Amino acid sequence: MELSGRSGEGKGGLPVVTGADAGIFSGSPGFLTTRLDAVVNWSRENSLWPMPFGTACCAIEMMATAASRYDLARFGMERMSFSPRQADLLICAGRVSYKMASVLRRIWEQMPQPKWSISMGACASSGGVFDVYSMVQGIDTIIPVDVYVPGCPPRPEGLMYGILMIQEKIRRSKPLSSWVQEEDLVEGLPTVTAEAVNLITSPFGNSTNQNRSSGLMSTGAVRRVSDRRP
Amino acid sequence: MSNDSFRKGLEGLDSGPAGSPRETPRVEAPEGGIPAHPTVDALRIQFGEAIGLHELVAGDEHVVYIDPARAFQILHWLRDEPGQQYDFLQDLTAVDYGNGTTIQVVWQLWSIPNRLNIRIKADLPLDALEVDSVYYVWRAADWLEREVWDLFGVTFRGHPDLRRILMPYNYTEGHPLRKDFPLRGRYSRAEQTQRALSMTIEDHYSAIELAVARRIGQDLPEVIVEGGTGLTDSVGMGSGAGDI
Amino acid sequence: MATRKRTVVYDVRRHPELGAGGGIVSAPIVPVEGEVASDYSENFSGEHMLINIGPQHPATHGVLRLVLELDGETVIRCIPHIGYLHSSFEKLGEYRDWNQIVPLTDRMDYLAPLIYNCAYAMAVEKMMGVQVTERCKVVRVILMELDRIFSHLLWLGTTGIDLGAFTVFLYTFQERERIYNLHESYTGARITTSSTRIGGMMADLPAGWIEQLQSFISNFPRTLDEVETLLTNNAIWIGRTQDVGVITAEDAVNFGLSGANLRASGVAYDVRKDRPYYDYESYDFDVPVGEHGDIYDRYLCRMEEMRQSLRILQQAISRLPGGPINVSDPRVILPGKTATMNDMESMIHHFKIVMEGVRAPVGESWFSVESSKGELGMYVVSDGGSKPVRWRVRGPSFINIAALPHMIEGALLSDVIAVNASLDIVLGEIDR
Repeated sequence: MELSGRSGEGKGGLPVVTGADAGIFSGSPGFLTTRLDAVVNWSRENSLWPMPFGTACCAIEMMATAASRYDLARFGMERMSFSPRQADLLICAGRVSYKMASVLRRIWEQMPQPKWSISMGACASSGGVFDVYSMVQGIDTIIPVDVYVPGCPPRPEGLMYGILMIQEKIRRSKPLSSWVQEEDLVEGLPTVTAEAVNLITSPFGNSTNQNRSSGLMSTGAVRRVSDRRP
Repeated sequence: MSNDSFRKGLEGLDSGPAGSPRETPRVEAPEGGIPAHPTVDALRIQFGEAIGLHELVAGDEHVVYIDPARAFQILHWLRDEPGQQYDFLQDLTAVDYGNGTTIQVVWQLWSIPNRLNIRIKADLPLDALEVDSVYYVWRAADWLEREVWDLFGVTFRGHPDLRRILMPYNYTEGHPLRKDFPLRGRYSRAEQTQRALSMTIEDHYSAIELAVARRIGQDLPEVIVEGGTGLTDSVGMGSGAGDI
Repeated sequence: MATRKRTVVYDVRRHPELGAGGGIVSAPIVPVEGEVASDYSENFSGEHMLINIGPQHPATHGVLRLVLELDGETVIRCIPHIGYLHSSFEKLGEYRDWNQIVPLTDRMDYLAPLIYNCAYAMAVEKMMGVQVTERCKVVRVILMELDRIFSHLLWLGTTGIDLGAFTVFLYTFQERERIYNLHESYTGARITTSSTRIGGMMADLPAGWIEQLQSFISNFPRTLDEVETLLTNNAIWIGRTQDVGVITAEDAVNFGLSGANLRASGVAYDVRKDRPYYDYESYDFDVPVGEHGDIYDRYLCRMEEMRQSLRILQQAISRLPGGPINVSDPRVILPGKTATMNDMESMIHHFKIVMEGVRAPVGESWFSVESSKGELGMYVVSDGGSKPVRWRVRGPSFINIAALPHMIEGALLSDVIAVNASLDIVLGEIDR
């Protein structure tokens, strides 16, 4: 079953650009574009404008990350953008209810390319303890997700590590060959098929259902959208 | 031990939690009877038959069961009678004991001048889930009654704007806090996700707003903010600080 | 339609106060009684507009959504929409053991998690008739007062940002980080503390914790003074808060407001004084009460509450008794680890409590404490099983925010943000 939510990039491992591939020494035509890639990536990664989509507890830790002690400005992110139109990194911090899902999708659609997203905390990534009628079981059924930050809530250091991973991802991207990341989001439909939604949102490891002895539930790992081999 | 003994937490996952074993559990009265509560005595004198059982729970909490048909009269009297003055509605909620028994509506009152608590309860049978609204007695009841309606399906007669409050306006799965409602909802996750994503702008607005928009001839605004947000942006960091 | 009138205008001359050394201590702009601003809405009425704020908006303090009908710049109708964070805590609680609900409570109000932990445990203990130990009582008082400061600080910082005072946010978060450290050294978590259990606490206070708390108590007033210097006499702050969002005492009671929002209107209702729990009657503290019911009074009340909480903390530390922190009631408390490993009966006992959960007798309790936002009620109903029939939370912000339309209808659009901020809401507990 195809679970990947985002097509057009990164499948089968991230490309690593080395000097030899890029033809620095051979003087091939790739040299110029590679250097340009590096410059574009450098500017993109160090001036991310995050759009904080904070809903619950994680938003408080996101504030703590931005405040005096942890000081997110060190990573070129002191300009939090509360408007999706001027943002390129969506940080979804906190639980998302079904009532909120269409709003989250709308915000993602309003963000201009190129854009990345972080799912901060257990609830955003998988529903967390809230395996209930009103909560989205992982925002990767709504929007594509680049980095999942685990924790309930993650510490500020965790969020920073997630952001550094986004920067790493940007550093390795090739903006000149694929300037725009193609997305196949369909209006009114989840990012994946209905079977896949049911599969990745089935109960696991949650204390309501967790019970190896019962034999009713799988306690094994579930492969989620955007899982990629390293 | 069989596997069934380990099914802790699993029971009722698909069919709602198990109901209580008894109809409505009653607390046994303490030795030597229940200490007198001035309001309960006054209520009995004033309303006689409409006042039912008087219980003492958790050591010092007085509960009085009333006839739901006279709920408004009794509650209004409790607020306005000079000797009572229960001017502060602490809580209004409902309890479903399951098994097709009654749903209890609970009013928790506090009198700021007299420093007295009392809890009023009314049992509503499942086929007549209706009780008077106390919206005009305590405005605090406005959202509390909407919440009880949303989650239990109890109708409050006379509430001017009884509509869903927590669930979306187009929610069709029922009233979630009823015991027959499964924890994960009635639809599959795929169906729920798809319904959530297909919500239109109109689904985010109540009838009042739709009427206002029609009257002033304006399109409904988008449900999220677009464009700059002024102040918070202009102070630089902005810092996610608004996003509590 | 009511129109908003400014009854206070400001003398633009400054009146500097000189310190002993001749330096300027502060230069407040002093409000003087003056002309009432003209009734501008009459001249600019006619064009109505419907606007939407939220649910994703930096100034709605979460996922609150307001739909406003405007007449020019005047709000004539405000309809709040909530439920965008509905996490069905109460339904989930019916599937959880009594002790398993504790971790849910601190995800409900993540601004003052310990108050919620304690309030829940207290309600269940009251229903079960469990008397916690003296040490546990004092420890819980310490934790609750600490989190009152914790929550008020966040309110102060974010309200400052909403009204354009950004520096306050950095000051308050610096102090909050100290409380985070206290949380962490006791519970291991920064926000989601889950520290209480039925009949006691998860653990006793670690060594050195009280000293850490004491150093916080001695350093904190300095920050508070600095913030007050920044705000209390600040002309912009006064201009945007005084006489804005007024609610009368009678209305406030009728709307069920509680906490600083109610007391700012002049009603001296504080659960700690009116229905004292945990010997609050024996602590020496004052409850600040405002008189105008506007944003400025709510601000003053909360500032004073933080100072009073410090007083309570001091007294609690000095009276902290020794002895066990958990009750010795085998119905609710696990046997010790050593006993469990060496003694068959303790092992079985341990197994039963862990697998079946604590059993509560038939009964119910509606118990409330004074949380940082108002009266926090916990209603627990048991039918004799190990899970509640009903666990209901009377969230103070849920009821406080319901009064928002009453306060801002007739006011200006720019005041909506200020009034909303002043109510100190937390959406996790409004939506539950």
